Amino acid sequence: MSLRALWIISNEKGQKASIRFSKRFSTVEHRARNLAGSSYVAVPEDSDFLQRLLTELGLSNSDKSYVADRDDCLYRPRSPAVELRLNGKGTLWPVLVLSQGPLILACLPLVDILSEPRPPLANLLSVSQGVTLLAGLQTFLLGSGVKLDSAGLASRVATLPSLLLQVCPLGTPLDTPLAGTPTASTVPTSTVTQKQPAWKTGVYRGRATVNVAVVETVRSMQYGNQSRQDLWDVYGTVTCKCEVEGALPNVTVTLSLPPNGSPLQDILVHPCVTSLDSSILTASSVDNADGSAFSGPYKFPFSPPLEPFRLCSYTSQVPVPPILGSYQLKEEENNLRVSVSLKLHESVRNSFEYCEAHLPFFNRNQMGVVDVKVSSGQVDVSKEKNLLVWGLGQKFPKSREVTFDGKISFTGSSNGPSDPLCTGLTAYIKLYLKVPDTTLSGCCVDQHSVQVYSSAKPRIVTSRELQSKEYFIWNSTGSAPVSSGQVMM
Amino acid sequence: MASKWTERISAFCCSPSSFLSGTNPDAFLAELLRELRDDRASYGVKVLLLSPLCEYPTLLCSSESVGEETALDLMSVFTQCPPRSSQFRCHLIVALTSVLVCSSCVSNRSRASLDFIDLLLQICQDTSDLDGDGTQRCNRATACDCLFEIEASCPGLLSQHLELLAGLRQQETSWLHQAYAGLQILVLRNAVYQLTKQTGAGAAHLKALLDGNTSVAWEADQEAFHMVTKDSAIQSSLILGPMGRVPTLHTGPDCKELRSVLSSLLEESYLLTPLCQAALFRRLTEVVAMVPGIPPTIFRAQLLRLLGTNEICLLHVTLLMKCAFTDSLFSAEDEAFLLKRLVVLSQHPLLSTPEKLFYMDCILHFPENRPINCGDSDEALPVLLTPQLASALLPTVFNDSATLLARLHLQALGFLEEGEEEGRGLAYIYDHLTALLHIVERGGSRDIVVTFFRAAFLFLFYFQQVEGYSARLSEQLCQLYLQHTKLAPHILNLVDKTLERLPECNWALGLLQGLQRVISTAPLGQLTLRDLSCHLKVLARVAEEGKISQCSTLGFLSAIITQSSSLLCTSGDWRLGNGVLGVCRRVLLHPSLDSLLIPLADILQHLTCYYGDTDIQDHARLYYTLLTTLSREKLSVMLAHSAAEGGGQVKKRTLSCVMAESEGLTNILTVHQTEQPVFQLTEALSGLQQEMENLQLSQDEGDKALESYRAQFSESGFASQIMLKYHLTHTEPHDSRFEQIFSICLHFSLTDDHYEQLQDISVPCLFRQRPPPVVQLTLKPRRPYPTTIHVSAIFTSKDGLTWHTTMPDVHVEFQQAFLPLPVPLSWSRSSRQDVFEGLWDEFCSEMSDCIISLFCCQLREAALKALVEKHFLPFLVSDLSQEDELRVLLFLPPRSHVLLKISSVEDATQFNMATDTRQLLPHMNSYLLTVTSSQDESVR
Repeated sequence: MSLRALWIISNEKGQKASIRFSKRFSTVEHRARNLAGSSYVAVPEDSDFLQRLLTELGLSNSDKSYVADRDDCLYRPRSPAVELRLNGKGTLWPVLVLSQGPLILACLPLVDILSEPRPPLANLLSVSQGVTLLAGLQTFLLGSGVKLDSAGLASRVATLPSLLLQVCPLGTPLDTPLAGTPTASTVPTSTVTQKQPAWKTGVYRGRATVNVAVVETVRSMQYGNQSRQDLWDVYGTVTCKCEVEGALPNVTVTLSLPPNGSPLQDILVHPCVTSLDSSILTASSVDNADGSAFSGPYKFPFSPPLEPFRLCSYTSQVPVPPILGSYQLKEEENNLRVSVSLKLHESVRNSFEYCEAHLPFFNRNQMGVVDVKVSSGQVDVSKEKNLLVWGLGQKFPKSREVTFDGKISFTGSSNGPSDPLCTGLTAYIKLYLKVPDTTLSGCCVDQHSVQVYSSAKPRIVTSRELQSKEYFIWNSTGSAPVSSGQVMM
Repeated sequence: MASKWTERISAFCCSPSSFLSGTNPDAFLAELLRELRDDRASYGVKVLLLSPLCEYPTLLCSSESVGEETALDLMSVFTQCPPRSSQFRCHLIVALTSVLVCSSCVSNRSRASLDFIDLLLQICQDTSDLDGDGTQRCNRATACDCLFEIEASCPGLLSQHLELLAGLRQQETSWLHQAYAGLQILVLRNAVYQLTKQTGAGAAHLKALLDGNTSVAWEADQEAFHMVTKDSAIQSSLILGPMGRVPTLHTGPDCKELRSVLSSLLEESYLLTPLCQAALFRRLTEVVAMVPGIPPTIFRAQLLRLLGTNEICLLHVTLLMKCAFTDSLFSAEDEAFLLKRLVVLSQHPLLSTPEKLFYMDCILHFPENRPINCGDSDEALPVLLTPQLASALLPTVFNDSATLLARLHLQALGFLEEGEEEGRGLAYIYDHLTALLHIVERGGSRDIVVTFFRAAFLFLFYFQQVEGYSARLSEQLCQLYLQHTKLAPHILNLVDKTLERLPECNWALGLLQGLQRVISTAPLGQLTLRDLSCHLKVLARVAEEGKISQCSTLGFLSAIITQSSSLLCTSGDWRLGNGVLGVCRRVLLHPSLDSLLIPLADILQHLTCYYGDTDIQDHARLYYTLLTTLSREKLSVMLAHSAAEGGGQVKKRTLSCVMAESEGLTNILTVHQTEQPVFQLTEALSGLQQEMENLQLSQDEGDKALESYRAQFSESGFASQIMLKYHLTHTEPHDSRFEQIFSICLHFSLTDDHYEQLQDISVPCLFRQRPPPVVQLTLKPRRPYPTTIHVSAIFTSKDGLTWHTTMPDVHVEFQQAFLPLPVPLSWSRSSRQDVFEGLWDEFCSEMSDCIISLFCCQLREAALKALVEKHFLPFLVSDLSQEDELRVLLFLPPRSHVLLKISSVEDATQFNMATDTRQLLPHMNSYLLTVTSSQDESVR
């Protein structure tokens, strides 16, 4: 349940990969040596480790198309735990690796099961603990933002020694670093009689406020084809920020569905939830739901931590996608004839924060003449001349249907981007949308259903929102890739 | 100053071995400790200084005694450190723990380690800052963590404090209770484990243990107790599934004390961070598994909370619990639920890829309540995983490569179990493979190419028997190859691995045949030279298969060399020519050679006459001659001779083999790398001592001794070398391939710049059964410091292959640089003494780099005499029989001296030192420390 070593590597494009931080836990190493006996494999020095890790991840020699060590078809990388073959000095296993953007985080958990051949990953608790710690460090270092700010990263790396002293002083991970420090005023506890949770560093003082936000994300693959079933799914998260006095205050949030709403599935809860009704957990997206399934209300009693947290997440099977689209391309001499129609479903609130359709074109020259007519909104050509952005504004027209017709010639001087998937007439539209104050599943948190057991009357704010991710409408005149095996079967 | 340390510490942590080769570990440790005691250094720097001790204590404290002393030093730093610098104090106790645990002081219960444990227990109980700012609390938490680590490394050490720890946990209301809980459960678990190993231990012992009454608990002999502690099995996980054997403690149903401890820990488990909760649950699981008197249902109340969690480690520990308790805790319903959960989590949009892959791994090792197969490591799908459930994990082209392969593997296992060979599932998998192939066809990235071939291998591995698909795959691969000939190495790799793993299967041969067909029937007009080079590689591989007819290959070769538009012959590209010859050479060995005689002869003749490269012409001629003059048998014997591997006889590499770009050629032209060191250099004792004894000491230099001694140095290269003798010996375990080795060339590379670069050394041969050859290293110091030299060697093995091997490093110790005074052998003792006196006076008086020093130790007279005889005899200037003061002169090339006056004063022995190179002092000190302490022990 401990780690032998930890590395943080930066691998920015165009730069040589380098180790930004590394730490060895000598006492755990001492245990590893005792446990493994003659099969003990020592941790190599940093430079050696880096080189072997890059080979293993296929990041070395990227200019060569085939390297026997790296590309052998027999070998199947078992991420998240890879093995590093050290020339003649055994094999280092299991090295856990997490990479995101320019950062690669790795650690080596202690194997505390003596078995030959090696024990399965699933039997080593240190593996899931290592993954948790690495993920925590990753969030801490990169923040939730997409863009990396290198100065911020450097300063956060510099705080790692004192941070690790708290979360993993001697190799046994105790906690994950806090992503954001709580902003509200807190005081360290001293005179409370109730035991304080270890995941709460202080106690809030001030007016009680509870903020609950439900965000649903919809994904879709639409083919516009009789033989191909369209797909869509919805998953939601409930995020809370609670400022409530007391060492271990009680709060209950209740999610409810409209009558006839389909039940929430695959519910996962935050560890601060104190108890759960087993009926809440029964519905699952992977088996055939029967009509009699429990459909709420879903009660989540918990004692909140100081920082904002994800109380629970769920998935839902909604009967229709919010926007149904059709996309047709026709090759005509030197032009591509494009026709698109999008229809907003009547049950969805017609008030967007934004709604945009992106039409990228791959494996062609840059666009020359673009001659399009839209029934609503406006069309922009991107600077790189390989993407049309159709902005639909805040509202669909009364008919709830918009169309796009036009001709595009690809007579530009240079080549546009290439993509191995989108060749010929295989093409897609990607929708980006955000609708405030609505959810597809109908799931909501009523202000009055939030219960806070405290003396003062709390301020309660609830909100909901729908957004899209990976919302694709494929050209129905070309072939489109299969995105879910389950439907095909 | 601070920046200098930042730099040095980061250099150390970057590569400790190269850093330490430039200095002495003892010297570096001494420097660190000095700086740590220095009041002027900031705490920021001091925290930095502790990091080498935390991360690499064994490198700096090589023995238990050094560890013990370092710990004492650090403890004195701790006592002097004001309580307000709590960060530093935390780092300091972490460093202390690292040093004491890693230098085995803790496991041997050394004085310092016991003191340190007392100190930690004291810090843990110190609640004096109840209203303070919480800094003291950090110290307490870290102290608990240190105790945890000590108990983990040395199980059972804290079992007598069990009651204290339980009390501390119960009283604590701040978040610190987590640290106490972690420590308490670990100590409890280890103590219970020890009880299980004690014969006759039962409920009474358990109760005594929990009451802190250890004298009763351990009434059995202490020795057995220690045996258990040293056994590494106690440190390993006890949860190994229902088949794992867990030692048990028979208490009967009466163990309410333990039950109440466990319940209280469980009740408060919610208050711990998920990581600590998971650890706690695992330890609790182990305890309950060891004590059958406690029913697993004690966990029941926590279960629902754990089953719904989004924390990977909490769900994981639940699976481990299931592994340990199976149906005594988990109903069939729970089991079905858990499996469904794992499937959901393996593809959940909110989870990261590593997490999803981990859950998929958990499905493959799902702890079933009633497992059918008992294999521990075999990956198999749980019975409850229906095809419908598994279909959620079908691979798609949108998956990243690791996910895609993991899903494919899981599905393959599923379909295999179903026996479904013609069903829709397999059809889907095949379509998926085709989709990948199309992406590769359209120029997918390297990653996709590699993934596709791995997926293809997986598919073949499980479904090669389904003819329809495997034949189609073969066809598609041929077309793919024709479009992208640069994929040749991938395709050949797939062929080789399929043959290796599925020797019974004909698929690979079919693919090779297909490749041969597409190559030989493709129109030649569009053939580029790059394509041709790939084609030749493929055809060479095809020609190795005796079952494949080579007619079309020869047809192709003939076409490319004879066609009028062909640039091949006129360009005279040597590589391509060699490629063609490589194919021909394999055809010469082909079983159906007789029927190929004429076309092959035509090709060879054409190459001989028209190929634009003389070398290729010559070799084609040789093959032609061989083909037309030798009988089939002789030809194959001659060619096969070099191809065959192994056997006792030394192989000759025939010209015909060297010629063609064949496996054999690559084999002899490549330098192979040995996996393990094959031989090593071990120090041979020098004969210095004997030489000295037989000397005639007559020549007297009079007053000018020092002057004439100095004069010698005007001659360049005078006394500038050290000769070190080593035996070259085989390492163990021995490898029969390297029984006899020849033409060994030893290459030395320095790890620092203290010495001049060494020359390579050749050794003609090394036979295991003969006495080892002596290798003499001539070192030319720039500065006579200890060093490490990397050694590698190139040699030839009996079968004619060339090997490269890395040898164990050679460590040159400080004392190996000692030479006696470099004066002519005939000089008298008094002249030598004059030189000593002269130098001593000089060193004591002037010059910047000179320094004098004193080293004291307690040695009895006899011990001192033995020490001098053993270590300093060759360097002795005075007479050994002289009672009062012994004089030793150590000369260290190129120009350094260390002079010693050794005398006994009362019960102490003083080593008065003078040197002209002050940097030598730390090395000298540690050398004296080593020799005097070892002398001490041996005499006692």
